[in-house]
Amino acid sequence: MIIAQNVSLIYPDKTQALYDVSLEIKPGELVYITGPSGSGKTSFLKLLMGMEYPTAGSLSVLGQPMEKSNFGRIQILRRKIGPVFQEFKLIEGRTALENVMMGMRFLGIKPKQMREQAHEALEKVGLGHKKYSKVENLSWGESQRVAIARAVARKPSLILADEPTGNLDYDNAINILKLLKSFQKEDTTVIITTHATHLISNEQNATFIHVRNGRITTERRSVAV
Amino acid sequence: MKTFFYNIGYFIKETGRIIGLNLLSNLFSVIGTGLILFLLGLAVTGANIGNNLVDMLNEEAEINAYFSNDISLAGRKEAVENINKIYGVRSARLVDEEEAKTRMENILGEEAKILELFDENPFEAFVEIRINVDEMESILENVKSLDGIEFVRDNKDVLEKIKDITYVFKALGYLMIAAVGITTIIILSHMIRQGIYNNREQINTLRLLGSPGAFIGFPYVLTGILLTLLGGVLATVSVVFLIKTAYESIGNVILFIPMPPRKNLIDNMIILLPSLSFILGLSGSLFGLSSVRKK
Repeated sequence: MIIAQNVSLIYPDKTQALYDVSLEIKPGELVYITGPSGSGKTSFLKLLMGMEYPTAGSLSVLGQPMEKSNFGRIQILRRKIGPVFQEFKLIEGRTALENVMMGMRFLGIKPKQMREQAHEALEKVGLGHKKYSKVENLSWGESQRVAIARAVARKPSLILADEPTGNLDYDNAINILKLLKSFQKEDTTVIITTHATHLISNEQNATFIHVRNGRITTERRSVAV
Repeated sequence: MKTFFYNIGYFIKETGRIIGLNLLSNLFSVIGTGLILFLLGLAVTGANIGNNLVDMLNEEAEINAYFSNDISLAGRKEAVENINKIYGVRSARLVDEEEAKTRMENILGEEAKILELFDENPFEAFVEIRINVDEMESILENVKSLDGIEFVRDNKDVLEKIKDITYVFKALGYLMIAAVGITTIIILSHMIRQGIYNNREQINTLRLLGSPGAFIGFPYVLTGILLTLLGGVLATVSVVFLIKTAYESIGNVILFIPMPPRKNLIDNMIILLPSLSFILGLSGSLFGLSSVRKK
């Protein structure tokens, strides 16, 4: 599913974000990538999304080598990924429903089915009653839920959520994590980055990868008791 | 392809949104494109009228071939037949001495009595040859080489001028089309780039979600085509109105210029301007998109 071998990432301004990262994530895993701000969590997600390319080492996502020369294929790969961006990247001037449908329009789904999937996703994140609200009129938490609905409505193989608990209070953060976890299935991997380790300390059946200064410091798997 | 059909409604809605986002600027673009196409319409109409005039002059282009003294009547008729067979000759007709004299009398009018001073008809029979100006040189050579033809009056200077006028009109027409085409493409591609810049956040998000470039770009292409088409319609209405008004008010005043039928001019504009605006809209949008994509 995801195989990273000695991956390093150096940005054009010479900032080194990741050093020699090697890991393997299997299909259907729930993975938490933790670490303080600036540790390289988001950079790793950017590599998984094809927003950046490894400057050394090799990385493959869903069987696709993440190399600049493969841009066309990476663009197709992105259709199998459900990203929840830190800043949501919702399209203003559109309703929540339109935003969710926007992520599916180019997947060859029939309009009726697309609408149904979008409705279903919005219901699932608890925003069924706000589907016709413009996204700029939604609260921070609601916007985040729309972003999650957009990510999951297209039934991706890989969900990537970047700091979904960032600006939320404890209860809302727990709810969002629960929601994201609920989409983990046999064929759907969920990767969540967070610096709030206290929120996930009791998690079971998950993989924890701790990153510090661009290096993986610990990797452990917890099993259900 | 099915993605395209599933999203027709979205594309139309998106096009409306892109136009609405910068309504005033787009309105000015429509007016600007309309004005440019209007100028093109005028130039093409002018060229049509000019070409019509040139065609008429061309049809009147004529050379005269004079016989040698020893030729018989049968020989004259044979020479006319042979001239008629030459490529580029529209018609060749024998004008005998009597007709030549009558023509001169008609030209001289009251002064024709001067011809009475001659004991015999001073005019010679000749062949009146209407020709295609473009083939003038080869026709002259062929006619001169025929048996029984002694001299050819070619009116070369006048015919050369007719030829030059034809080329000038054609060159002006092509230049105008090229100028309008380039200007419209520049305006439109700039407009499309502006639209893309205004929507860069949305485009970036769609890219990150895996949207193909064609899906992202299609509403912009539609926008370009729609705006230029509107400009084209505006230009067509204005040019047609102008042609109608011109024919009604000054058509009778400038009788010395043979005008082509009004319907032909109007039909030409109704076909030319909208089709051209469509082509320009499409190429301008694609050019704008490709220049953005390179970045």
